[in-house]
Amino acid sequence: MRAVTIFLREIRLAFSGGGGPAAPAAFFIAVLTVAPLAIGQMPATLLAAGPGVICFAALLAVLQGAERLFVDDVSDGTLETYALSGLPMSVVAAAKVLATAFATLWPLPLVGFGAGVAYGLPTGSAALLAMSLAAAIPGLIFLTALAAALSAGAKRGGLVIALIAAPLAIPLMVFAASAGRVGGIGDASAQANVLLTCATSLFLMAILPFAIAAALKGRLE
Amino acid sequence: MRPVSQSALTRTSGRVKSRAMTLPEFSPTSLNVTDLSLERGNIPLISGLNLTANSGDAVVLLGRNGVGKTTLLRALAGVLRPRAGSLFYSDVPAETAASKCCAFLGHEDALKPDETPRQSLAFWSRLSNSPLAVDEALDEMGLRALADRPSRRLSQGQKRRTALARIAVQNRPVWLLDEPAAPLDGDGRARLSNIVSSHLKRGGLVVAATHQALDWPNARTQELARCAL
Repeated sequence: MRAVTIFLREIRLAFSGGGGPAAPAAFFIAVLTVAPLAIGQMPATLLAAGPGVICFAALLAVLQGAERLFVDDVSDGTLETYALSGLPMSVVAAAKVLATAFATLWPLPLVGFGAGVAYGLPTGSAALLAMSLAAAIPGLIFLTALAAALSAGAKRGGLVIALIAAPLAIPLMVFAASAGRVGGIGDASAQANVLLTCATSLFLMAILPFAIAAALKGRLE
Repeated sequence: MRPVSQSALTRTSGRVKSRAMTLPEFSPTSLNVTDLSLERGNIPLISGLNLTANSGDAVVLLGRNGVGKTTLLRALAGVLRPRAGSLFYSDVPAETAASKCCAFLGHEDALKPDETPRQSLAFWSRLSNSPLAVDEALDEMGLRALADRPSRRLSQGQKRRTALARIAVQNRPVWLLDEPAAPLDGDGRARLSNIVSSHLKRGGLVVAATHQALDWPNARTQELARCAL
């Protein structure tokens, strides 16, 4: 019950202080708009590159807000009060990260679907891609949160985030992009990729709260 | 004391008395610090400290800048591991007990710039199942008129009052306060003294680090000396 209280507060804070979903969505759209100019506008090129570009842009959109995830809590004393709230730090971390995902990242699969269609993917493939994005985002935000927790308060935190989160995101990138690349709704390989994305995401969501909690406790000492 | 704080004192004390009667007492809590040594970044700060306190006690930590008052409070809050010695709350090590029994006020007020004092207190009150109503806590620190103003537009002293009201709604027997009165005016200090004494009457325990005269009745002082190298 108390985890829900923290979850609801963090959702409110994400909207009032962080502008809610505006920043990641705008960043996502900007990358998706600029990418075809760099790759080349040939329909065949865009079709082939589309799923990969969209997943990569989603990774960038998740990463861009990451640095702020715990920095404020570390510097304004909130982390200490959370640490003494009587809830395990892993529960606090999970509630906070999930709240951030819900409040700020929900437009990404929708935009991803639109972008898939615009890049020339069949509607079915674009829909599968959007589904796999929706499945990948929880895993991505937890990875990013681990990097953010390790770097909170450190100088050049952004560097640490890029170095830690990007390599760990590889499996999610591979599975999520493949889901949009092969076939349509009926394609067994595409469905398998969506399921693999779900599995990876769930695995990360299950183990990372403990790692994030350990990193945050290290910050307090 | 100045007349303004005097009147505030008498004005609030009536309400405080009624609150002390309505709020349930804490179960007896003791603090036992034995032969404690602390360091910060490999610099030894406190060595061989012994300290005992029980329900109803207020301990005021005094000492020069850099002597280790904040470090000691953070160790009491269980977030900093001591180099040697032990910290117990009612025979449970501080590392595990602190998150159940301590309310901690550090240098920072743990306020979010876009949250109003009412929202912030409502959150902490829900999180702690507090028997103290948010409005009452706001009144006790004289924050009624500021309750719906985002905390980025509060002064330093007003933020401190909000943080102290948060400590009150957290409903924990042990209060660990780091420089609680530093930005407070006379009225604020009188109100702080009021909530502390009603907390002690409930069977609470307060440890505060300060450079200011707090004028708390029955407070013990603990002088921290520079660690001999």
